[in-house]
Amino acid sequence: MADSGQSSVKRCESGSVSSVNMETISALTELEDLERVYQQLCAEEKEVEAELDRLVGQEGSIHTKMLALQRMGPDLQLVGGDASQLSGMITFTCSLAENVSRKVRQLDVAKTRLYNVIQRADDILDLKFCTDGVQTALRNEDYEQAAVHIHRYLSLDQSVIELSRQGEESSAVDASLVLLQEAEQKLKVIVAEKLDEAVAAVNLAQVERFFKIFPLLGLHQQGLARFGQYLCSQLGSKAEENLLLATGGDLGEKRALLVFADTLTLLLEGIARVVETHQPIVETYYVDKFIQQRGYHNKFQIVQSSMMKSMPGERIEPRELDPVLTEVTLMNARAELYLRFLRRRIMADFEVGDAHSITQEHQQNVEKLLKHCLLSRMMQELIGYYIPMEEYYMRESVNKAVAMDTYEKGQLTSSMVDDCFYIVKKCISRALSSSSIDCLCAMINHANSLLESDFREVLYNKLRQGFPATTLQDIQRGVSSAVSLMQSSLQQGKFNTLGIESAENAKAAFLVRYTDSCTFTRSHIHTLLLSSRCNMFQGGGSGDQAKIESCLSDLVNTSSKFKDLLQEGLTELNTTAIKPQVKPWISSFLSISHNIEEEEFNDYEANDPWVQQLIVNLEQLMAEFKTALSPVIYDTLTSLMTSLISIEMEKTVFKCSFSRLGGLQFDKELRSLVAYLSTVTTWTIRDKFARLTQMATILNLERVTEILDYWGPNSGPLTWRLTPAEVRQVLALRIDFRSEDIKRLRL
Amino acid sequence: MSMEDYDYLFKIVLIGNAGVGKTCLVRRFTQGLFPPGQGATIGVDFMIKTVEIKGEKVKLQIWDTAGQERFRSITQSYYRSANALILTYDITCEDSFRCLPEWLREIEQYANNQVVTILVGNKIDLAEKREVLRQRAEDFAEAQSMLYLETSAKESDNVEKLFLDLACELIREAKQNKLDNNDTAPMPGEGKTISYLSCCSLN
Ligand SMILES: Nc1nc2c(ncn2[C@@H]2O[C@H](COP(=O)(O)OP(=O)(O)O)[C@@H](O)[C@H]2O)c(=O)[nH]1
Ligand SMILES: [Mg+2]
Repeated sequence: MADSGQSSVKRCESGSVSSVNMETISALTELEDLERVYQQLCAEEKEVEAELDRLVGQEGSIHTKMLALQRMGPDLQLVGGDASQLSGMITFTCSLAENVSRKVRQLDVAKTRLYNVIQRADDILDLKFCTDGVQTALRNEDYEQAAVHIHRYLSLDQSVIELSRQGEESSAVDASLVLLQEAEQKLKVIVAEKLDEAVAAVNLAQVERFFKIFPLLGLHQQGLARFGQYLCSQLGSKAEENLLLATGGDLGEKRALLVFADTLTLLLEGIARVVETHQPIVETYYVDKFIQQRGYHNKFQIVQSSMMKSMPGERIEPRELDPVLTEVTLMNARAELYLRFLRRRIMADFEVGDAHSITQEHQQNVEKLLKHCLLSRMMQELIGYYIPMEEYYMRESVNKAVAMDTYEKGQLTSSMVDDCFYIVKKCISRALSSSSIDCLCAMINHANSLLESDFREVLYNKLRQGFPATTLQDIQRGVSSAVSLMQSSLQQGKFNTLGIESAENAKAAFLVRYTDSCTFTRSHIHTLLLSSRCNMFQGGGSGDQAKIESCLSDLVNTSSKFKDLLQEGLTELNTTAIKPQVKPWISSFLSISHNIEEEEFNDYEANDPWVQQLIVNLEQLMAEFKTALSPVIYDTLTSLMTSLISIEMEKTVFKCSFSRLGGLQFDKELRSLVAYLSTVTTWTIRDKFARLTQMATILNLERVTEILDYWGPNSGPLTWRLTPAEVRQVLALRIDFRSEDIKRLRL
Repeated sequence: MSMEDYDYLFKIVLIGNAGVGKTCLVRRFTQGLFPPGQGATIGVDFMIKTVEIKGEKVKLQIWDTAGQERFRSITQSYYRSANALILTYDITCEDSFRCLPEWLREIEQYANNQVVTILVGNKIDLAEKREVLRQRAEDFAEAQSMLYLETSAKESDNVEKLFLDLACELIREAKQNKLDNNDTAPMPGEGKTISYLSCCSLN
């Protein structure tokens, strides 16, 4: 219905203006256009007619509805009357309600006033009660009760009290107030005095008693400070007592020094205990924990200043420093332990307090506090003194060990290396025991300095100058054992060289030991670190580890420098101890003629003239080294020796002349030698003897031109180590080869 | 340990009075930040940064030291192995400049004599508070044959340049040393046998 209504309205509006207006129609001239418009108008007409039909069709239903509406008229009049009646009633109720509520409001105000009056009356009564109570309590020296009364008074609403003073009984209230305020002051003084007395009398029960009163009087800070002071002084005096015991006792200096660490330990343990026992009290009555901790630290000064006095020593015997150093590291470790204890404690408190509010900031603050607190600073200072002293200790002890360096023939080792490493290791271990990363790193640095420059120089110089012959001979003469005498008489003339050799062995041995020691030191430190890292450096972060690694890697570099030195030492050993012996054995080759015929060749076959003796000699020499040297060194040394032999052999061979059979003889001899040397060394020696083997091949040729079967394109797998000139030189050693033939060779 | 993928490794140690900005310089260079209100350094701090210079990887081990007297014996132990020292003062603090001779004495005593030392005047962002004139510092540095540079850790002024210049200088010296060493005679003994042996491991 609504739809049709709407559309009809639309029709009415658009009805006057058809889709085609008159003007356009009159403007039309073409028949075609006119027809199109006509069609259009016809269509519109049809549409309008249909619409009209539809509207006429609705007339019936509209009429019915109109009738229904007319019938509703009287009902609506009735409803209108009822509504106005209702409205009147509502207005009446509303005004009634407003009246009631106004009265209720008035009642409320009255009630509040009444309460205030009661409160005030109560307060005034309280005030009076407090006034009386305080005085009674004070008279009875019941300070707790007095404090409770004061606390009550302090928690009264001050404005109410002010109001009361304006009332009728103002004079009475005033009097009470004055009394109360007097009592408060009095109590404060008394409590402070009593606490001081208790503190002076070291009466823990009394101290705690009055300590608990302070917060009741609103003196939290003061109470905490006094309590802290008490604990400090108590600990301080205890420490002092212990110190007195430590220093004043009849104990010797050294013992006394040892006692300091014990004292500190006692002290710290005491503090830890005190923190344990008093924390509940402190927490119940007070809030701020840090002050107390700072308070604790005051008393460290006492111990520490007395420690300091014993520290900056004049240049003294390093051994005398030993106990002090040990003690300082111990102290630091204890302090570190104590700080960790506090950290744990505080963190735990944070968690109990409010698990959500433990921010990073909190933790950083704690770290900062702990790192920069007086104790930390004192310990840092202490470590600051410790390091140069430890360095001094290390340097002096090592110098001493170097100066006292001795070696015995039987052992073939130098005491120096062992001693020095013992010292260095000891110092580093001690630094490690301080639990201070920086201290440890500093000592590793110093140790490294010492080893890398000073100690290395000592060894280097010893190598340079060789072993002082006098020292050596003194020792050897001193060894009057039968074995030594027999040996020297058996190997006449070899006394000195053997001596040198042993000494050189000793050198090599201690160098090896040194290298081992370096590695050992490092692995030792690593082990120590691993075991202590987990618990020691908590909260230190990965930076600490990197620091240590870096310092240790310097130590590794140093050990590789010692490897170089060892190499140098071995070369030296080879030239000074082996070469002088081996050289004559080889040059004896010259005295064996290799210009031989069948008969001599057979003779040599039956009766070896040279190589067997050489092998026996070498065997003896090597056997001696083998027992004296570590396998690694021994192996290196044999390698050096084989090189030496091949070079010496080559030189010697060039000085000889050979017949055809002499060449064959040399070939045989060389094979025996190489075979023997192959058994004593793990190095492949064929390479070292390649030139000699090739020389033997040449000396074994039938004719000069036969060389061409092995040369150039015919060399096959053979790589010539000899130059053409050298080949000619070797060929010339054969007495039966003509020099023209050799010259004519095209190589 | 990882493979050492660098061509050079240098140790750089920062020294100078407390509060001149050593830690800030190191943090600026290694982490690219200016730390807000961190506490004074305790002992020494250690940081690593690898930079590339002309195609060569240079690993810089940077040791940041505490300026206070009580840490002196710890920090001194690092001088000897240092390749370079950055001696820092604060241009807004005359005092920190006046202490330089004292620091130079330390260097003289503990560092090895090949160490490269550079003087750094920090906090140039606070130009209006400057107490030490640039010319004065330059003259001082020159007299002590040190390099000189002014920086601001806060504004990141010249910080990169400081460390990179230093790295370049260290590379130059390392190359020079290598040349010099190659010139010197080989080890005593049998010449060639040594070089043969030196390739054998002696573990
Ligand atoms: N304005 C300014 N302040 C700096 C600069 N460098 C450091 N500081 C501030 O100087 C103070 C000490 O810096 P820090 O790096 O701890 O000095 P350090 O003791 O030498 O390590 C801090 O408050 C820094 O914020 C700088 O370049 N400009
Ligand atoms: Mg710093």
